[in-house]
Amino acid sequence: MDRREQVLGIIYAALESLNAELSEDRQVEIGPTTALFSPDAALDSLSLVSVIIDVETALTMEWDAPISLTDDRAMARAISPFDDVGTLTDYILELLAEVSPA
Amino acid sequence: MDDLVGRYVGRTALVTGSTRGVGRLIAEHFLAQGASVIGFARSPGTITHPAYQHVEVDLADPMAIQKAFMGLHKSAGRVDIVVNNAAVLTSQYAMIMPPGAAQAMVNVNLLAPFIVSREAAKFMRKTKWGRIINIGSMAASLEPIGDSVYAACKAGLSTLTNVMAKEFGAMNVTCNTLAITAIETDMLSQLPRDKIDLIIAGLPIPRFAEPADILNAIDFFASEASSYITAQTLYLGGVN
Repeated sequence: MDRREQVLGIIYAALESLNAELSEDRQVEIGPTTALFSPDAALDSLSLVSVIIDVETALTMEWDAPISLTDDRAMARAISPFDDVGTLTDYILELLAEVSPA
Repeated sequence: MDDLVGRYVGRTALVTGSTRGVGRLIAEHFLAQGASVIGFARSPGTITHPAYQHVEVDLADPMAIQKAFMGLHKSAGRVDIVVNNAAVLTSQYAMIMPPGAAQAMVNVNLLAPFIVSREAAKFMRKTKWGRIINIGSMAASLEPIGDSVYAACKAGLSTLTNVMAKEFGAMNVTCNTLAITAIETDMLSQLPRDKIDLIIAGLPIPRFAEPADILNAIDFFASEASSYITAQTLYLGGVN
């Protein structure tokens, strides 16, 4: 499994974990284009926080290094890493390249 | 009280500043009542107990705290109760307070409880149960001369607690502040005795706090029955 697939798997797992807590009518569709934080997003702010924490925790455990998705760098970007699953994956791959070059 | 021995069986409590003073007192109390205890402190552990795990961590360093929690994800696996007790105190007139001492108080007394609480909440959200108890101080209310930064940190700690109570309420995590009066500890020895005695004499209950006074309030906040009590600051000794 390449690193992108690995990261996608972690994000999907976080979204599945979120869905387990949501009612049937609030289920989030899971895929590479799933909107996370945009006008089209199905997630409310608390749900997004929940996903971010799950993803951060999983990344930290997997790569054995503290990885923060919400530092100043993320917030300063013209295109938010949290727009959708794809932008989040790209951003995580950038961070991982710093702590553990592929 | 015998029927309450063992009330924390199955719970894991994290106590900061667990090597001495109030923190050690609270850690030993949880252990005696059946909890597993994780102690965070800069210095080596002073408690020997099979259910005690000591983590040496500089609480003034947010990254060090996060690394310590990384370790807990691998070892302890859960944190149910947090007591943010660690604090540093430099009492000095504002005009001659060393900036470094002021910064250290902000880091340990305010920022560390924030980081510890938020990292612990990540455990608690999984179990949908948690108790965060922040140790405040009568200084926040009495505002003694020389304690501008310390008192501000402790007042800020109550506010921080109350906001976290709102954020964590949906996870069945309560957040409260226990504002203690003076108790005979190493920290107290850093203050002029006559100043302390004067403050104590002015309290509605004019005596030092006893360990049982503090532990009673800790048990109250940590209790299963206190699930509807959050965002509160409880002052001991009649301070308000």
